[in-house]
Amino acid sequence: MQFNQYLKVAIASICLALATSLNAAENKEAVVVFAAASLTNAINEISANYEQEKGAQIKTSFAASSALAKQIENGAPADIFISADTKWMNYLKDKHALKDNTVSNLLTNHLVLIAPVGKRFDVTMNKSFDFFGAFNGKLCTGEMASVPVGIYAKQALTSLAWLDAGQSKIVGTQDVRAALTLVERAECAVGIVYETDAKISNKVEVIATFPDNVHEPILYPLSLTKDASAKSADFYEYLKSDKAKAIFTKYGFTFLGKK
Amino acid sequence: MIEVVAQLKRQDFELDVSLQLDQHLTAIFGPSGSGKSTLLNVIAGISKPDQGRVVVNGETVFDHEKRINKPIHQRRIGLVFQDARLFPHLNVEHNLRYPLKFIPAHEQQFHLKDIVNLLEIEPLLKRTTHQLSGGEKQRVALGRTLLSSPRLLMLDEPMASLDESLKSQILPFLKKVADEINIPMIYISHSKDEIMQITNNVVYINAGKIVD
Amino acid sequence: MLEFFSFTPAEIAILLLSVKVAVCCVLLIIAPAIAVAWLLARKSFPGKSLLDSLIHLPLVLPPVVPGYLLLLLFGNNGLIGKFLNEHFGFSIAFTWLGAVVASAVMAFPLMVRSIRLAISHVDRRLELAAQSLGARPLSVFFTVTLPLSMPGIITGLILAFSRSMGEFGATITFVGNIENETRTLPLAIYSLTQTPDGDLAALRLVIISMVLALGALMISDRLERKASQQIGHSHD
Repeated sequence: MQFNQYLKVAIASICLALATSLNAAENKEAVVVFAAASLTNAINEISANYEQEKGAQIKTSFAASSALAKQIENGAPADIFISADTKWMNYLKDKHALKDNTVSNLLTNHLVLIAPVGKRFDVTMNKSFDFFGAFNGKLCTGEMASVPVGIYAKQALTSLAWLDAGQSKIVGTQDVRAALTLVERAECAVGIVYETDAKISNKVEVIATFPDNVHEPILYPLSLTKDASAKSADFYEYLKSDKAKAIFTKYGFTFLGKK
Repeated sequence: MIEVVAQLKRQDFELDVSLQLDQHLTAIFGPSGSGKSTLLNVIAGISKPDQGRVVVNGETVFDHEKRINKPIHQRRIGLVFQDARLFPHLNVEHNLRYPLKFIPAHEQQFHLKDIVNLLEIEPLLKRTTHQLSGGEKQRVALGRTLLSSPRLLMLDEPMASLDESLKSQILPFLKKVADEINIPMIYISHSKDEIMQITNNVVYINAGKIVD
Repeated sequence: MLEFFSFTPAEIAILLLSVKVAVCCVLLIIAPAIAVAWLLARKSFPGKSLLDSLIHLPLVLPPVVPGYLLLLLFGNNGLIGKFLNEHFGFSIAFTWLGAVVASAVMAFPLMVRSIRLAISHVDRRLELAAQSLGARPLSVFFTVTLPLSMPGIITGLILAFSRSMGEFGATITFVGNIENETRTLPLAIYSLTQTPDGDLAALRLVIISMVLALGALMISDRLERKASQQIGHSHD
């Protein structure tokens, strides 16, 4: 390229950079919410309503709570964090990344077994049932070492003494929605996800629900981060309001709310 | 005996020749661009004429009407080029031995030893091709081509890139080959002086046509 | 301090898996890459530029795209995968073989480029000379073209190996991140950054990756020089 062309490209790039940084400056007004992947649909709807009502801007990022927690620990600009387990919220508490006294339990959920539509099989929830012998193929759930749904799944499989028989058949994904998608596509014969995830998909069916006593209670704590903007406090309260409750309940979550 | 009848039309050049060569050594003489190399390419099978036929020692290697067109590797026509074209990844000995792989033993006309002695290239055998002078490269190229047991040997301006002293070094070897080896030879050159030292039998070519 | 320099069994397992996948990847693509490179360097035919573009796609697409396409094709429920699974009981999804295929797709264009360049630099007049000496075209390829392309082939090999060692996006999308099966070095680093207090272990793997990459580059340089010398190019 000639020097003139280089110059033109350079100028265009600088203008673009300036424009986007100006835009970013504007968006410092937005409230940034990091939420567990299982909350994607509910939070999107709640945010949309809030934006309409209050004329404010909400920015969301959904991923496994483990990934989000590590990002916040490393300085990601989140104002609000909703985790799918207390473990990751406590992790951030220990790292002093949260605003004091703002952790509160928002929701609970249930853990279910799913299969692609039309590929169900019978499951009995006791130790004598040969679970992994009951199907061919893989079991998909979140990464068992870090992703909350995977952690709950591991607890459940261990309580039911099914885990050892199935180690080689388990595929860990980076979040619960990835596991859901794999079961939808029949890449996996069975999956362990939240009841609320199974509900939003018409390509999978629930073949059994894990009783609450085979895993730790599934709690979704909510918190403000240490450097949360003043503006975000309003949305934080909104998430605990009846309006939010209605939407969470619609998607199948059990609302704990104002505790 | 070599018979060539060929018409070939390219963008800026036209070849139209008809000749019979029945002498042991024939020189083809013409200025640059006269069609000498094209003629060589036609005989060797590198270029395909639009019309005509090529017969070498009784074997038809090309005939447009009869749809005969033998590929280069089947024509057994040995070529020596101006730039030697030795294989850089093989040493001298392996360059020489290269053609022996493709001829069954009973059809091989020469032994490596004989060629090495004829062209006096014994001391060069273990050298790489980069360790050779221009004249040495040509001798090796000549030896390699002979070892392919060709039924016709064509030399395309073999001394064009050599200086006078090197030329005078290689000339005796060319004469030796012409005298001692019983293979018809065609020597192509734009230098009358070179040709005169080798043969009187000259075919003149200009602008793609044979000149009487 | 010395403990820092010795590998844990888990690290060795990850390394061995990565190397296994990379070696198999290279072995899988070397012959087709040479064939395609030769075709692109020497022949013209209708659809040539389309073929050229298709081959280069993985270079310009974000790696998840080829990974996703592989999933659609070879996943257990994919176009081809379903057939293989039902008729041969054979599946590459979620296996190290699938990781090999993912690497192969991403590394193929790199190898082709390198070899094509080398082949196009082989003097065609040498190939003609070989033919005049009685070598039929296939022999010319193996005795002249290939040896003279060796520096480029070596470069292509090492590039493909390194690309495979670093492959992440297509691998994780197609075969997931399964310990001891598809969790190659880059995926292992990624997982460790997601686990509580996995940062030190991640760092160790990062250092291993860098050492491997440097080693590959140095070996490649060495081998290429040697090959160049053998075919007679002077190398500065």
